[in-house]
Amino acid sequence: MSQGFIRSWFRTLLIQASWNYERMIGVGIAFASEPILRKLPGGAKGSAYREALGRATAQFNSHPYLSGAAVGALAKSEYDGLPREQVSRFRTALAGPLGSVGDKLVWAGTLPVASALGLFLAVVVSPLVGVITLLVIHNVVNVSLRIWALNVGWRGGVNVASRLGVPALELGLRIAGPATALACGAMLPVVTAWLVRDFEPSGITGAGLIAGVGLLLARWVWPTLGGIRYGLVVVLLAALAGWL
Amino acid sequence: MIDNVLLLGLWGVLVGLDMTSVAQTMLSRPLVAATVAGVIVGDPAGGLLMGVLLEFFALDVLPVGAARYPDYGLGAVSAVAVVAGSPGVLSTGLGCGLGLAVAYIGGVGAHLARISNGADVVRHAEALNSGDPRAIYGVHMRGLLREVTRSVLVLVVGLGAAHIMRMALPITLQGAVYLRIVVVGAAIAAVVSGTVRLTGRRVAMQWFVLGVVGGIVGVVLL
Repeated sequence: MSQGFIRSWFRTLLIQASWNYERMIGVGIAFASEPILRKLPGGAKGSAYREALGRATAQFNSHPYLSGAAVGALAKSEYDGLPREQVSRFRTALAGPLGSVGDKLVWAGTLPVASALGLFLAVVVSPLVGVITLLVIHNVVNVSLRIWALNVGWRGGVNVASRLGVPALELGLRIAGPATALACGAMLPVVTAWLVRDFEPSGITGAGLIAGVGLLLARWVWPTLGGIRYGLVVVLLAALAGWL
Repeated sequence: MIDNVLLLGLWGVLVGLDMTSVAQTMLSRPLVAATVAGVIVGDPAGGLLMGVLLEFFALDVLPVGAARYPDYGLGAVSAVAVVAGSPGVLSTGLGCGLGLAVAYIGGVGAHLARISNGADVVRHAEALNSGDPRAIYGVHMRGLLREVTRSVLVLVVGLGAAHIMRMALPITLQGAVYLRIVVVGAAIAAVVSGTVRLTGRRVAMQWFVLGVVGGIVGVVLL
């Protein structure tokens, strides 16, 4: 594996540093691709390198852990000398799948599962065990996906989409939802019991009422309210009621 | 004390960078950020309590691409600065309330940093389009610097507010008890609503109910 490839992998860790509403992670893609593109005909001073880098800065977005697939595939398409229009169409087509697969697998799958397990172990075993569990589970997925993505992108080139359908990924996507639901559901009573362990019965009833009202609002009355706004509103109401 | 504040600030900056810009290793998850912050200030139990409460709120968030989401990591670090060394009954509600407010401010800060990154991109559009590696590197590194600046500014607000709260806890014992009940209730609402949103399909709901039943059995047995 070339040094440029390894440098590119490390740069994918920073791919969202310049995230913006104009080009999203476009500049990040160029930043991460740059070490691989140095070996284009003419080297780092050649026109192929500059033109490829310029194209790489165009608007793009994907899940950060899978962005390596775009870095690898777009760099490969530059080495293969594909026409500019084809690279541009390919780039547009690639963004959707990389975003949706990553969101479903990581943000709605492995992350909440790791979080639920971490919470459970933090209150049942020890805080350190909980924290380490969350970090290890999440980062095994994080690092593995990033390595796999850059590899599969480079090997697949414009055919990378067909290589995204590996059995492990498909299995992950299939079980992500149920696993999250099961883990969060199992964690909830245990951690809630720990949170209210020194509450009076009236306090437990009160917390239940606040939770019930919040759920009612979030699910049926005001779906865009969000947990943070609800939390801030109830704290503010508590202040207004003269409790502070 | 000063050493602890500096260490807490340094940890906060790392947590702020981890949210979006650097690696996303989840140091910025409240459970991690607050527990480590608790160890730094010598109150691991307070850190765990804030970490658990704010992690419940964070499970309500799907941090996808262009969405605006709160920075619960910086909120967690600020929350721990309120509760450190205080009796849990007195400070839990205040700490969590400040944590939520700082998380919200941190999210607004991230949005502003993204707008500023966009202005930078527009200013250097010609150089970027021509593939100038120095322009690409410059825009990217300035984006990283904005994230450091955002984290520092949000921490100054969060830790400053925490210091003021600790100097004069603006709360009666009765108020503190009520506030703690309120934030725990809101946290439970957030985690349930977040889980349902993440896994909203009928099959996933069956797994959720199964998990809750298993969890209740666990509570009885533990």
